[in-house]
Amino acid sequence: MPRVCVTGYGVVAPIGCDIAAFDDALFGGRSAIEPFELRLPGSDPVRVPIARCRFDENATRTPSRVPADRGTAMALTSAASAAGAAGLEAGSVDPERLGVFWGSGMGGASTFEATCRQVYGESRRIRPTSVVTAMPNAPVAELALLFAARGAAIGFACACASAAVAIGEAMRALRDGRLDMAVVGGSDALLAPGVIGAWQAMRVLAPPGQDAAHACRPFAADRAGFALGEGAAAFVLETEAHARARGARWTCVLSGFATNCDGLHITQPDAAGQARAMAAALKDAGLAPVDIGHVNAHGTATSAGDAAEAQSLHQVFGAGGPAVTATKAVLGHLLGAGGAVELLAMLRALERRLAPPTGHAAALDPTFKIDLVQRDARPLAQLRHAMSNSFAFGGTNAVLIASRAD
Amino acid sequence: MNPHTFEVVAEVLQQQFHVEPEKIAPDSSLQALGLDSLSLMEFVFAIEDRFELRIPEERLDPRQSQLTLTDLCAALDEGVANRPLPA
Repeated sequence: MPRVCVTGYGVVAPIGCDIAAFDDALFGGRSAIEPFELRLPGSDPVRVPIARCRFDENATRTPSRVPADRGTAMALTSAASAAGAAGLEAGSVDPERLGVFWGSGMGGASTFEATCRQVYGESRRIRPTSVVTAMPNAPVAELALLFAARGAAIGFACACASAAVAIGEAMRALRDGRLDMAVVGGSDALLAPGVIGAWQAMRVLAPPGQDAAHACRPFAADRAGFALGEGAAAFVLETEAHARARGARWTCVLSGFATNCDGLHITQPDAAGQARAMAAALKDAGLAPVDIGHVNAHGTATSAGDAAEAQSLHQVFGAGGPAVTATKAVLGHLLGAGGAVELLAMLRALERRLAPPTGHAAALDPTFKIDLVQRDARPLAQLRHAMSNSFAFGGTNAVLIASRAD
Repeated sequence: MNPHTFEVVAEVLQQQFHVEPEKIAPDSSLQALGLDSLSLMEFVFAIEDRFELRIPEERLDPRQSQLTLTDLCAALDEGVANRPLPA
């Protein structure tokens, strides 16, 4: 089975839109979460925490020339960085062997909301390009145009696991010999009032309080939910033979992937389903639990979500398990992009042999038997393999394992 | 043709639709701008919004091959001239 190498990556995240800025905030535990006053007709104003990217979508030119949805613009920007790092240009590789696999939880929901506002609120016309701007596969389609890919262009929508599933399915296509190379990742940009309001109505957003930066406290006793965020991360994946043949460089390989579903409840997580997914990913990587030195947890800081994950982690790894980090505390919850941006955080941890901190100082839930890296980054001199968990509304579980290439 | 009308049209083409400046001349046909049919429709919408008017459909079907930017500007100038005065 061919090894799958990560030969480039790029990011647009609330904590930074390049790797240097991303690293600074990630390993420094500096949160990008800020308060936002949500005002919607029919509801009282409410303060919610959000994690916004310093990003101007109007500076992005789509290959199709249709107006860019903000999420699509983030996808294009992160993928251009990844391709630059990997030395991938349209036409530089066999297009029939190049695919795009991309995750997005709610696709062009912001564009759809803006369109509704224009039509019902301002009596303006629906634009001719509304469909192709707002469709959930708009990022995939634009990326396929950007790289002139002909092998595959597939969008994945499984809520918070969308990007992880996209990346894992691309890895399988490369291993199976269906493709040589894939541009993969995820994007979501949903900080539109109606979308924020929909999440607020579920009561999963943390109250921002006086210290919004620390509103999201995964695995804490007083955890109260997450902050809605936005962003994108992209990776260039290729088989080792292909990477070698074109002289590409890589420091990490994707070594394991599994996805399953709980099939039990639309929102309630299931520790058993999560544990089965982690065990299957370990088997896929040919690794034992003891080989994993670091886990980037799904860690949404909801009461039920963290309880289930603490339980599933303990079930898989037992006592003395790996160093666990929950980066949603600093990144916000990036929904369909989460699995991609968190995989990037995990790859940076592998490369630097340093587990980033979760970034809050609150007392941990005493019933959780996990080793949370909390306030400061933790050096892990022996780190070789790490895991990233993504567990979605709808019951989809996705687990990615990456390994240092040396 | 009002030169200001052409300037605004050229600006929209360059800034919103990334059309290369050398392709934008009064006698350029809409087909020669390098925009596909969907982008042409979007372009006409953008121009109409910019001038706050609607060009009658029979006057301008952007898919019609021989229409030039001068024809478009003439339709816009006519629309502006015929616009009702504010009460």
